[in-house]
Amino acid sequence: MKILLVEDDESLIALLTRSLVAQRYVVDAVKDGEMGWSYGSTFEYDLILMDLMLPKLDGISLCQRFRAEGYTTPIMLLTAQDNSTAKVQGLDAGADDYVVKPFDQAELIARIRALLRRGSTQPFPLLTCGDLLLDPSTCEVSYDGQPLILTTKEYELLELLLRDSQHVLSTDEILDRLWSSEKFPSEATVRSHIRRLRHKLVAAGAPSDFIATLHGRGYYLKALEPKTEEATMPHLKGDLAGDLAGGLAIASTSSETSPFFPISQPDSQRQYLTFLNETWATTQPKCLAQTEILLQAAAELQGDRLSHPQQVQAQQVAHKLAGTLGVFGLTQAMHLSRQLEHWLGETLHPKQAELMQTLAIALQQEIKNNRTIQAPQIVGRVPLLLVVSTDAKFNQSLMPVAIDRGIHIRIAPEIAPEIASLEPAEEQSPDVILFRFPDGSPKDPDRCSTIDDLWKTLQTWVHRHPALPILVVGDRSELSDRLKIVRSGGKLFLEPSAVPDQVISAAVRLLRGSDSPARVMIVDDDQNWLRMLPTLLKPWGFKVTTLADPQQFLTVLQSVMPDLLVLDVNMPQVNGFELCQILRSDPDWQRLPVLFLSVLTDAASQNQAFTVGADDYLCKPIMGVELANRILRRLQRVRAWAG
Amino acid sequence: MLSKRVLIIDDEETIQTVVQFGIKLAAGWEVLTASSGLKGIETAQAEQPDVILLDVMMPDMDGIATFKELQAHPEVQKIPVILLTAKAQTAERRQFNDLGVSGVITKPFNSLDLPEQISRILHW
Repeated sequence: MKILLVEDDESLIALLTRSLVAQRYVVDAVKDGEMGWSYGSTFEYDLILMDLMLPKLDGISLCQRFRAEGYTTPIMLLTAQDNSTAKVQGLDAGADDYVVKPFDQAELIARIRALLRRGSTQPFPLLTCGDLLLDPSTCEVSYDGQPLILTTKEYELLELLLRDSQHVLSTDEILDRLWSSEKFPSEATVRSHIRRLRHKLVAAGAPSDFIATLHGRGYYLKALEPKTEEATMPHLKGDLAGDLAGGLAIASTSSETSPFFPISQPDSQRQYLTFLNETWATTQPKCLAQTEILLQAAAELQGDRLSHPQQVQAQQVAHKLAGTLGVFGLTQAMHLSRQLEHWLGETLHPKQAELMQTLAIALQQEIKNNRTIQAPQIVGRVPLLLVVSTDAKFNQSLMPVAIDRGIHIRIAPEIAPEIASLEPAEEQSPDVILFRFPDGSPKDPDRCSTIDDLWKTLQTWVHRHPALPILVVGDRSELSDRLKIVRSGGKLFLEPSAVPDQVISAAVRLLRGSDSPARVMIVDDDQNWLRMLPTLLKPWGFKVTTLADPQQFLTVLQSVMPDLLVLDVNMPQVNGFELCQILRSDPDWQRLPVLFLSVLTDAASQNQAFTVGADDYLCKPIMGVELANRILRRLQRVRAWAG
Repeated sequence: MLSKRVLIIDDEETIQTVVQFGIKLAAGWEVLTASSGLKGIETAQAEQPDVILLDVMMPDMDGIATFKELQAHPEVQKIPVILLTAKAQTAERRQFNDLGVSGVITKPFNSLDLPEQISRILHW
C-alpha cells in the first residue's frame, strides 16, 4: 500500500514516515501543496495524508483539486484546528477523514487502515464492452484476456468511452471531460490519443474499428459479441497484478527491452516535462537572483574591490547555478555558469570585469529567455559523440573538452565495418559521429588498410543512419577524398591540425538543429542600446548575447557560437570592420552572417562594410521589427543554403 | 527488476527534487534525500539504501570527505556509492576510482536516464 504524505513540518514527516513504514506502508513525502499535486496526480497512491496548512497550495484547495480532477484516492487531513468549521470545510472539500494535531499515532494508523479497508470493500464494478475489460478499482485493462498497457490519458479516454458506451462522444466533449480547465489541448490531441489507443487495441486483437468514428459527430465503442468473462478474468488478474502493484497506472510490458519502461513512453516524458516546468517556475526567480550576485562581483572587480570571500562566494554561486541549470537541460546557461565558475577560481584582474559582466548578463538573459523547459532540452539524453579513430592521443584529447561542453564520447573499440562491434545493443545510439582519417604516407600499407576500413565503416553508418550528422577530420587537400566523403553524407570536414576545442565545437554545431532558437550576438559600445536590444528582439525568440568590449570578441564568440552577428562600426580600439575582417580570415567563421548596424549613413562606409565581408548594412535608429526581419531573412537564407 | 532505494546527497534542493521525481517516474524506485554529507551519513545508517548518489562539491563536508566517512562506518561501508560531478577529467576519474567509489555520473544528466545508468554501473 502506498501513501502520499503532504506535510511541511520536517520532524513530523520523519515521525510519520517512521511509523507508517513500520506498518509496511510505502511512503512518499513532499513538502508543499503543489508538489502534493504533482505526485498525487502522477503516481498511484492508496491514500493521501495531508496537512491543512501547506505552502504554495493549502490542503483544502489541494483536496478540491484532486476531487475536481476525478481522483478518488482516500484523503485524510491533518489539522491543528480542532473546530467544526475546519472539519466541515475539509470534509466538504472531498476529504474522507481528518485527525487533529497533536494526534495519537496508534489512532492515526487505525484510521488509515479503516479508510483503506473502506476503499477495497467497495470496488467499482467492472466495465466491459465485447472482449474489452476495464477494472476501475485496479486500473487494469485487458482485451480478450491480453493486458493492455495504457498511458493515463489513454486509460481515461477508454474509461470514458466505456462508461458512456451508449453515446457518441464528440471531440469537444472528450476535451471537456478529460482535460482540466486550465489546459488548452487541441482537437488534434484527442485524435492522437484515439489513434494510439486504437493501435494498442488492434495489437491486442481488437478490430480496427473497435473505437469507431462517426464522421462529423465523434467516437464510440463498437463491440462484437463478448466472450465469456470466466475465460478472461483469471488471465487479467494473473498477468497484470504483479506489474501494477508497484505503483504507476502506466505499467510496463514484458516486451520492452529496457526494464525502465516509462523512458520510452511519451507520456512519461510529458509528465517529467510538466514536473520540470512546475519546478522551473519557482527555481527561475532564485536563479535570476543568484546572477545578481555574479553581476555584483563583476562590479566589485571593476572597481578593484572584490574581496577573496566575495570571490569564493560568487564561485560557489556559479557552481550551484551550473548544477541546477544542468538538471533542467539548459545547456547553454549551464555552460556560461561553468565558465564563470572557472574564472572565479582564478586570480582576477579588474580588466576582466567587463568580460565577466558580459557572461553574467548573457547568463541572466539565458535564464530569463527560458521561460519554459522545452521537450528537446530534456527528452534527448546527453548527446553522444561516437569517435571512429585509431589515434588514441587524439581520442583522449577530446574527452575533457567534450565533458565541458556536455557531450558524452564513446570511442569505437575498433575500426570495423561490422556495425555490431560499434553499436552494442545496450548502449545509447550516437547523435553525431566523427571519423578521423590517419595521417601519413599514401603508400603506407597499414594506413591504406585503415582508411579502407574507415570508408566501409562510414558507408555502413550512412546506410544504417542516413540522418546521422557525420564529421570528418582528415587531410583536405585531396579533392577525390573530399568528394567521396561528401557523397557518403559527410557534413563537416576539418583539418587534422584542428584542436579538440574546434572539433567539439563542430560537433556541437552539427548537433544543433534548425529548431533551436537562433543565437544572435551583438557587438556595440553603446551600453544603452545594448540594454534595449534583447527586449526589442525578444518577441522573435532570438537568444541575444550582447558585448560592449570588442577586446573580448573572440572569447565570447567561441562561447556563444552565434548563428548571426550584428556589428557596430565605430568602437574604441577595434572597429567593426576590423572585427569582420578577423572573422572572414577564420575558416570557422567565414560563413557566419554579419549585419552592420551603425549611425554612419554614407555610401563609403556601407561600401567598406560589404568589402570586408558584411552580408547586410542597416542604419540607426532602427525599429525592432525591421532589425528582426533582416535577421530572420538572413538566417532563413543561410539555413536554406545549408539544407 | 526489484524496486530499489536510492539516497541522493546533494546540497541543491532543486537537484534532489528533480532526481527524486525522475527516478521514481522512470523506474518506480524510492529516493531518499539529504542536503549535506552529515545528514546523508545519518540517513544511510538509518535507511540502508541500495545505492548512494553523492555530489562531489558541497560546502562544509564535500563528497570525498563524505565518502571516506561512509567507509569508516561498518554498517554503511558496503553500500555502493556513485559520485555526481560536473568535472570528471581523466586524472579526477582515476582519483575517484582509487578511492573505491563504484562509479561516476557526470552532470548534467537526464534524471529519467539515471536508473539505467545506475543499473549499468552496478550490474543490477
